[in-house]
Amino acid sequence: MKGMNTQLSLKYSPWQEKTSRPYTAIAAIGRISLLLICRQRLFWGLLALAMLAFFFFLYGQYLMVWINLQFAHETVRIAGFSVNISQLLRFLDRLALQGTAHTYANFIWFQGYILVILLCFSGSHLFGNDIIYNTMIFYYSKPISPWYYFCGKCLAIIFLIVMTTFIPATILWFEAGLLLDGLTYYTQNYLVLLGIAGYSALIALTLSLLTATTAMIFQRTAPMVLAWMGLFVLLRMMANWLAMTTQEGDWRLLDFWNNLYLCGLWCFGIDHATIRPIPQPHYNNAFLVVFLIITLCILYICKQTRLEIYR
Amino acid sequence: MKDQPLLQFIDVSKWFGRVLALNQVTWTFHRGIVGLVGANGAGKSTFLRLAAGLLRPTLGEVKIAGRDAWDWRSRRLLGYCPSTDSFFYDQSGEEFVYTMARLCGIPRRTARKQTELTLQRLGLSDLAHRPIYGYSKGMRQKIKLAQALVHQPPLLILDEPLAGIDPVGRHELIKLFHQLSQEGHSLIVSSHELQTLEQLTDHILLLSHGRVAAAGTIREIRRQLADYPVTVRITVSSPRAFARHLVEWPEVIAIEWSEPSRQASRGTLLVRIQQPNEFFQRLTQFLAHNPWNISRVEPVDDSTHELLGYILGGSGKT
Repeated sequence: MKGMNTQLSLKYSPWQEKTSRPYTAIAAIGRISLLLICRQRLFWGLLALAMLAFFFFLYGQYLMVWINLQFAHETVRIAGFSVNISQLLRFLDRLALQGTAHTYANFIWFQGYILVILLCFSGSHLFGNDIIYNTMIFYYSKPISPWYYFCGKCLAIIFLIVMTTFIPATILWFEAGLLLDGLTYYTQNYLVLLGIAGYSALIALTLSLLTATTAMIFQRTAPMVLAWMGLFVLLRMMANWLAMTTQEGDWRLLDFWNNLYLCGLWCFGIDHATIRPIPQPHYNNAFLVVFLIITLCILYICKQTRLEIYR
Repeated sequence: MKDQPLLQFIDVSKWFGRVLALNQVTWTFHRGIVGLVGANGAGKSTFLRLAAGLLRPTLGEVKIAGRDAWDWRSRRLLGYCPSTDSFFYDQSGEEFVYTMARLCGIPRRTARKQTELTLQRLGLSDLAHRPIYGYSKGMRQKIKLAQALVHQPPLLILDEPLAGIDPVGRHELIKLFHQLSQEGHSLIVSSHELQTLEQLTDHILLLSHGRVAAAGTIREIRRQLADYPVTVRITVSSPRAFARHLVEWPEVIAIEWSEPSRQASRGTLLVRIQQPNEFFQRLTQFLAHNPWNISRVEPVDDSTHELLGYILGGSGKT
């Protein structure tokens, strides 16, 4: 063991220097949480996958504009048949790559697939490990409210969500302006940008709380992935089947990601009638389910803030 | 606030389900170093976690400088070093201590400086940039100590800080604790080894089965224990004849005996005594001059066993 330097003085005197406000601890916890996640290789792999979807939209948008400008009325021969080029791109209609509100809503929808896995991994790493390895004790022994601990961790998760949804969607919005009508596009579609912000904020709030709650319940990555797959995949399939069979849109309320999508579409100001697939529940019902989930998560976290450290 | 004791336990009890971990503890601490001693399961860690505001008392109150310890604001006055060896292993020591400094509200630049100073003092400067998973047990203990010390709290609560450290490291830490005390920090240090704590302080708080068995200087505690009634079981071949001798001794308060059964050739005496030191001295002398066939002498009461074990410096068995 190395000898301690006893010559240095760290004499006790009541702390004279100015201290920061206690809530600055939120940023400190958020920072260190992000650093912890960034050190994991899996995180970079998942982020790369998320970026793939972004680049698909980025180049897809460019391709659509370029093809429409250059070859819109031209035909190509496929297996002896003449096919209009614009017909060939019909499969991309589902993505609506024209810089409309649907483009960004669809982009965020597709990001959801990778985001769910990313959050499972981050949640178990940030909250689960603190419980499993008992590192919570270091946070709780410091002069911060347990709420600051949760807010700090949620801040890191919000950062991840913003990085995979809001920032790329905003880049797509700027790209669409550059490719389409320039300034006219920006002035006519500034509400779309607000819609992106609103949808991303809603996803960030809901998913950070849901991640915190489920990570504290399941703690480890594998059970958390299973739980989230149940919530976002199994329930979705079931909701879809029930809605198609009964033609009752309210069954889709079981699909939580769809509820967030509907709330996002409301933020974009999209007419309910244009939403596909049909039938879909009403916006109000989707908001109600999201609100209910947020409330349940906050209640659970409230309970956890009164947690005692036994180990 | 200056007149307030630094730490105060007022009739504190703590239950974990059906287990009573701490039982009506009342204790006041103003300043200095106090050693918290007790066997495993005596309630030391519960006591310290209540003091650090990590646990909430089921009954009673714990106060730090007059404020409820459960209130997070009161933790500004304390640094807590847990006994558990749990870390964010991916982090470097420096990063860990820096984050903890930031959580204490120390501004960025000052936190960097303070982290550096604290690590330097603990002799960890050269290794501070390495991830914690590469640290030895002693280094991990020091890092835990550094995070408790980084914001210079008046009260340091150290749960088994010397556990698993080699003698040289132990000596260094004890020296550091003395320095910290001289500089004005107050320390509560737990250990289950009285000998180790004796090098650090002569003020101890002895916990046994969740109760404060004794508090004060070791000398005072020895004196208190001298009058503490103890039950001793003596297994002897002819208990009735042996009891005739014992009854004349001033330390003996009462005797119960059972005659040897047909199967067993020996009987058992349950002797209630006071001033156990004198009793055992007299017993030793008596047996040296009068050979009796005694196969076993042991304290019956577990708490007594522990008290004797710690205070008399043995296992408790005589």
